[in-house]
Amino acid sequence: MKSPNLSQLFREKAEAVQVLVREVNDPAEACGYAVDLTHSQGGAAIAAPGWDPGVLSLLKDHCGQANIELLTENLRDHAARLHTGFTRADWGIADTGTMVLDSSSEDLRLATMLSETHIAVLPLSRLRATSADLEEELNRLAQSPPRYLAFITGASRTADIERVLTLGVHGPLELHLLLLKDGSS
Amino acid sequence: MINTAQDLKEYKKRLKKALNNEFLRAAMGTFASAYKEAQGRLLAGVDVSGLTREIAASKDAALPRLPELYEAFKARAEAAGVKVHLAGTAQEANEIIAAIARDNGVQKIVKSKSMTAEETFLNDHLEKAGFEVVETDLGEWIIQLRHEGPSHMVMPAIHLSRQEVAELFTRVTGEPQEPDIGKLVKVARREMRKHFLSAEMGISGANFAIAATGTLGIISNEGNARLTTTLPRVHVALVGVDKLVPDLATALRVLKLLPLRATGQVITSYVSWITGTNECALGPGGKKEMHVVFLDNGRLALAQDRVFSEALRCVRCGACANVCPIYNLVGGHNLGHVYIGAIGLILTYFYHGRKNARAIVQNCLNCQACKSVCPAGIDLPHLIKETYCQVLKGEEKQPLKNRLLRRVLKDRRVFHFLLRRASLVQKPLATGEGFLRHLPFFFGKEHDFRRLPVIARVPFRDLWPRLYQQVDQPRYRVALFGGCLVDFVYPEQGVALMQLLKDQKVQVEYPLSQTCCGLPAKMMGEKEVAREVALQNLAALDPADYDYILTLCASCGSHIKEAYPKLVAGEPGAATKMQQLAGKLIDFSSFFTRVLKVQPEMFQGEKKKVAYHSPCHLCRGLGVTREPRELLATAGLEYVAAKDEDTCCGMGGSFSLEFPELSAQVLQKKLDAVEETGADLLVTDCPGCVLQLKGGMAKRGGKVRVKHLAEALAATLKEGEKGK
Repeated sequence: MKSPNLSQLFREKAEAVQVLVREVNDPAEACGYAVDLTHSQGGAAIAAPGWDPGVLSLLKDHCGQANIELLTENLRDHAARLHTGFTRADWGIADTGTMVLDSSSEDLRLATMLSETHIAVLPLSRLRATSADLEEELNRLAQSPPRYLAFITGASRTADIERVLTLGVHGPLELHLLLLKDGSS
Repeated sequence: MINTAQDLKEYKKRLKKALNNEFLRAAMGTFASAYKEAQGRLLAGVDVSGLTREIAASKDAALPRLPELYEAFKARAEAAGVKVHLAGTAQEANEIIAAIARDNGVQKIVKSKSMTAEETFLNDHLEKAGFEVVETDLGEWIIQLRHEGPSHMVMPAIHLSRQEVAELFTRVTGEPQEPDIGKLVKVARREMRKHFLSAEMGISGANFAIAATGTLGIISNEGNARLTTTLPRVHVALVGVDKLVPDLATALRVLKLLPLRATGQVITSYVSWITGTNECALGPGGKKEMHVVFLDNGRLALAQDRVFSEALRCVRCGACANVCPIYNLVGGHNLGHVYIGAIGLILTYFYHGRKNARAIVQNCLNCQACKSVCPAGIDLPHLIKETYCQVLKGEEKQPLKNRLLRRVLKDRRVFHFLLRRASLVQKPLATGEGFLRHLPFFFGKEHDFRRLPVIARVPFRDLWPRLYQQVDQPRYRVALFGGCLVDFVYPEQGVALMQLLKDQKVQVEYPLSQTCCGLPAKMMGEKEVAREVALQNLAALDPADYDYILTLCASCGSHIKEAYPKLVAGEPGAATKMQQLAGKLIDFSSFFTRVLKVQPEMFQGEKKKVAYHSPCHLCRGLGVTREPRELLATAGLEYVAAKDEDTCCGMGGSFSLEFPELSAQVLQKKLDAVEETGADLLVTDCPGCVLQLKGGMAKRGGKVRVKHLAEALAATLKEGEKGK
């Protein structure tokens, strides 16, 4: 019952910081979106670490058709070639439009930072109202280190020159969030 | 590299230069307006004062526990493979970090922004030790290349134009770069990637060190903090020991307000929570080599300081600079050493010494704008004056004005005698409108931005026997606190008050042994003098005798309400009585609207366009904003809103004498905004503001008349309502 309002609020807050938000019905649609977007942006490779074999095989099919390289590990060796980072998001925080990602895996961090475009898939059931609602989960994770948790809200940005907002200074230039309908919605 | 003015003479030279920097002035001006507008929009619906109180309380609770929190953090982090160090001094911190670099065979270091590393001049140390250090935050990189310090804690290169950055990047890359911000950012992205991928060590700061889990919290917008802590095989975090918080909940609370106040963002693009040695392909055993260096540098002692510990609540958002009228005129390099803005004036003394603080610490209007936006509720103007007081204690020779003030202000009879003498001396200089014909010879040309009022021929206290009205069965018993300006410069404001009170059944007393409120002493760092006159006023005005202590002067009012209890804190008897006095203090418009509840029938309802200046010490000091405007409406005057109504007029008491050029600039903006409204009359409810605004308006030959709210109301009283 909370989901429709939460997802509305999340969308509003995320769009306010230039996140491109859209809903997807299933992982296949998300994979298709990632590959199409990469293709349309002229990207040659997608970094997609941390996916289960099911999603990975869907992605592999889509990449194959579009002739896009799929990278899932040792991303450091491909640093210069990562066009798209395609990852899951562990939670969403509606009141700030934030995605939370447990990026303890180095490849996850690299995919979300070195790519030009970051596409994340957030199951609607993982949406929370505020950061305080995630306190317990985050604490539990921090209690089993090592742990690298990230709140990501929009693309990399700077206003360091004349306070003019510019996207993509170090990290991705674009952040796309795909809200995945997963039963609870 | 950073070279802060060490005396007033040199400092004033630099201020003058900054005032002539057109780009800086324009950039700062737009920034200030945009910031203010965004704050109003973003904070609607956020319980800002509640959050501020919570943040202040949680910081205050953590400060006495810092050693304990440090031990807890260390135990947790070390169990997760991190090496934790505590550096007593800046030098020690730099040496620890250089040693880590040496031990790990490091050549190149990338850094994400850390004010703490700026504080210790870490880059200089590492470069001298032979390491290549690259700042990766765009603004920090720019100032590193220019060999400058930051001019803002969050936007370190805000003082530079795109042209200057383009020239710099052209030089650095050896290729021509256009002054196009998007393209310049791309240059940084390209250059930085190379450094990120080749550096062996990354140095970051941290916004939070969470004791419960040994976690570092780092906020950033550009994402360079994530790259700095991920790509190189060694990560060192340099963290002020004051950044220790007990738990994640505390950090999340700060995070709710810090970005809003800093840059007007709901949250920054990235917040990273790092616990333990994370996966790193290049590190030993596939793990990161990670160190946390906590910096004391006086913080642990400061945390125990009865007065100054509050400064350690600072979360480094830079909001105190964003709203400072002085910062917005002269920029950060003229308002701080490493730490800039209001908090910088205080921290400079503790972290970088008296010599660097002694000139800049005087550059505060006491307008309280900083205090009103601080997400940790630090009483910044108060601490700035306390810092100045400490600075003065270290001076071999006390400034002449301070020596005079000490002599004169403590003895009311001498003080008032001198004022009466001055009135006689200046008689030949007085014009019909109550101004001095020209400034006395000892004033320089820079003081000639406003006309100065003459001292009244007959002070209010001498008019009092005639004005006194015995009231049978009064509704309220009220003591009037006049303040020096009403008493000796603008007695007509007091007369207007008495006219307004004529039929209100209020028994007013004007105890003649009252003296200056002492704010000028506080402004000049003379805390002891301020304390003494506060006690004299307490003796003159026993709060038990009155229902209210009424004042026409917002500055006296906020000083009595806020500073008096602090001045005698802990003194048996006085502390209690002072609280009572402060509790009964009320300003003019609150008294008339909330207590007397005056009605429109009293007034003629003369249609006149009136602009209002909201005195700093009324709207922020006493928190009174609605009442004066309501009172204007009650009197039937047509209130027209002016831009930046609640920005300081530039008076700041003795400030306008010490820094006349700055005062003049702040005043010009204010008068421009008033004239734009097309008002016939400008009213305000502080005689100090009246002095500044009236003098400035007369000097520029403006048509808008300037009055105290009480005078404006008295002038529109119905005939029968006026007194004798």
